[in-house]
Amino acid sequence: MIAAAIVTADWYMTLAAVLFLIGMAGLLLRNNALVMFMSVELMLNAVNLTFVAAARAHGDIGGQMAVLFVLVVAAAEVAVGLAIIVSIFRIRRTASVDDLSELSG
Amino acid sequence: MDLDYHALAPEIVVAATILLVLGLDVALPRRRKYWTAFAGVVGLTLAAVPLVTLALGGGPGARSMLGGGYVVDDFALVLKAVFIAGGYLVLLMSVSYIESDRYYQGEYYLLLLTSILGSLIMASSRDLITVFVGLELVTGPLFLLAGWRKGDARSNEASLKFFILGVLSTAVLLYGMSFLYGLTGSVTFEGIRTAGAGLLDSGAFRLAVLFTLIGFGFKITAVPFHFWAPDTYEGAPTPVTAYLSVGSKAAGFVGLLLLCYRAFPSVTEIWGPALWVLAALSMTLGNLTALRQDNIVRMLAYSSIAQGGFILVPFAAAAVTNDPLVIQEAASATIVYVIIYAFMNLGAFAVVIEGARRTGTSMIDGWAGMWRYAPRLAVLGAVFFFSLAGIPPLAGWYAKFAMFLAILRPGNPWTAALAVIAAVNAVIALVYYARVGKTMWMDPLPDGASDGERTARPMSGALALALGISVIFVILAGVLPFQLAGVFAEAAKVVTAGI
Amino acid sequence: MSEYFQDYVAVAAFAAFGLVLVVLTLGITYLVRPSNPTKEKVTTYECGVDPVGEGWNHTFIRYYIFGLLFVVFDVEAVFLFPWAVAAESLGVPGMIAVVIFILTLLEGLLYAVRKGVLKWE
Repeated sequence: MIAAAIVTADWYMTLAAVLFLIGMAGLLLRNNALVMFMSVELMLNAVNLTFVAAARAHGDIGGQMAVLFVLVVAAAEVAVGLAIIVSIFRIRRTASVDDLSELSG
Repeated sequence: MDLDYHALAPEIVVAATILLVLGLDVALPRRRKYWTAFAGVVGLTLAAVPLVTLALGGGPGARSMLGGGYVVDDFALVLKAVFIAGGYLVLLMSVSYIESDRYYQGEYYLLLLTSILGSLIMASSRDLITVFVGLELVTGPLFLLAGWRKGDARSNEASLKFFILGVLSTAVLLYGMSFLYGLTGSVTFEGIRTAGAGLLDSGAFRLAVLFTLIGFGFKITAVPFHFWAPDTYEGAPTPVTAYLSVGSKAAGFVGLLLLCYRAFPSVTEIWGPALWVLAALSMTLGNLTALRQDNIVRMLAYSSIAQGGFILVPFAAAAVTNDPLVIQEAASATIVYVIIYAFMNLGAFAVVIEGARRTGTSMIDGWAGMWRYAPRLAVLGAVFFFSLAGIPPLAGWYAKFAMFLAILRPGNPWTAALAVIAAVNAVIALVYYARVGKTMWMDPLPDGASDGERTARPMSGALALALGISVIFVILAGVLPFQLAGVFAEAAKVVTAGI
Repeated sequence: MSEYFQDYVAVAAFAAFGLVLVVLTLGITYLVRPSNPTKEKVTTYECGVDPVGEGWNHTFIRYYIFGLLFVVFDVEAVFLFPWAVAAESLGVPGMIAVVIFILTLLEGLLYAVRKGVLKWE
């Protein structure tokens, strides 16, 4: 028999933390708006993973419910974000955030 | 599923209005789309009716639904009334603004009403999921509204910046929430409060609380999470900016009040100092940057960041004491400040919309000598800007008075230091608010401008109504502040109950 | 043979079955269908996009809109699953709630149709 490690909730939490950090790094370091969206999705999926793992560990349904809402909101947000990018692309012909400097911050 | 339909009536009416507006937008030909605005105004008026019946007939008992996750109590009712009133004013301001553009109408009101619905949900939410859904319902439509002028690159850029930082803050907030849930095993604030008391030494719990605060820091545009705000405020259409600086900000503060006072009362040593720092930074940086602005919308953007700092001040007072009366007073100060700020800031934005239309510029210098061609607008401008500065007898003075009272009550050196910072900032704020007044009243007309060409176009009725409502509130609340505070004391008692 | 490897026999059998199924369906259709290859038909299918050329050529904005509509409506279906599982115990009020939910989505779809985004020209 091959020895099997017991996968505990901590494993999922660690994976989620790594995913969240990768997403955060992607959002802060990349300048293509589409890549930034993907990074946000990664962060939201890390959140989902934490919620589900915690729900499983507690034997509680609340976390799974939260995941359903996070999923739907994430999809709606991506739709909104892509619409904004398409709108910008029609005027500017670029998806790079660095080129946006009409409004000096 | 036992839902209390009477308690849910305001939300149901607004939701039905949203569906009706969308339906009208689909059904009506383009030149009759103004009916959507009419439907929106009527819907919001109707939504206020059940609020009154609930407040009169509800008694002291809270109506709780969805396993304690959705509660309609005095706190929720007071804030819902503010959100509906604020939304109403923004709708009125939008009517003439949107009509003058070529862009679609129905969608505008649809999105604005959806955002208002989200803030109504925020006021009643008592668990993590509902807070999240409410908050997203508030901000999601605003991403699109900020980019309303589709052909304008600045509007698009405002929208994208707002969007990216908005979703980043959402992700951070959610990550904090998922940790809260993982550690406490509960999504309701009550469950988190009970379980959180046993997690005082848990580093993960402290981190989760901090993450949640950071998430809300973006929503309330607290420094250092404010950098999206000035650009977004300037690029978005002005009525949307008014809503951003009032409606979505107030919704963020409601969430913060609920989380700090209801979910995290056991870890005041975490959020107390964190909010102390946010308040001090927001007031100081917001005011110092506002001093240097030439564009009136940008000035209001930075001033609203500074006002957000003032609203945060009482939190620091509540964190250092165990006296329930002091905590209640702090919560009450925050609520009163949010409400008064909502009316005076909306009024100021209404003046900006009308002023920009009259003069054709939003540069402060271009408004010189306004009293000569638009005396009534100049009077209203002075009222709102001096109210924002906190000059009696306008409502702003009581907001600041209650805030100082709350922060001085605990008698702790840290809160006293924050009171000093707030006092210095109140003086700085007076300088730039007064500058607008001086420009309108004392400066000569800019070269080449004649009185005649600027008096020709009359103000739209809807905007005049919005200005009238806000000016009446600002003066009444300034003259009779203690009666007003009495109403909100009940709300504060509810939100701080059981600490 | 140990129990461990017996598990893999099932995997092998499953793989073999899959292979046979694919060969069988493709083989039968090959015998039955008419063969009429045109230039359009033999190009590699890639979601309707022309696969030749560099990767940065323009794509119709319509693809985004269709994709967005699909994603949004697809994800909303997530709320139907929990209801379907508990439909019996939720009874008539649950049914009414779901009907309202679907009608709301339908209104959104109607809006999309009215805006002409579902028309492909």
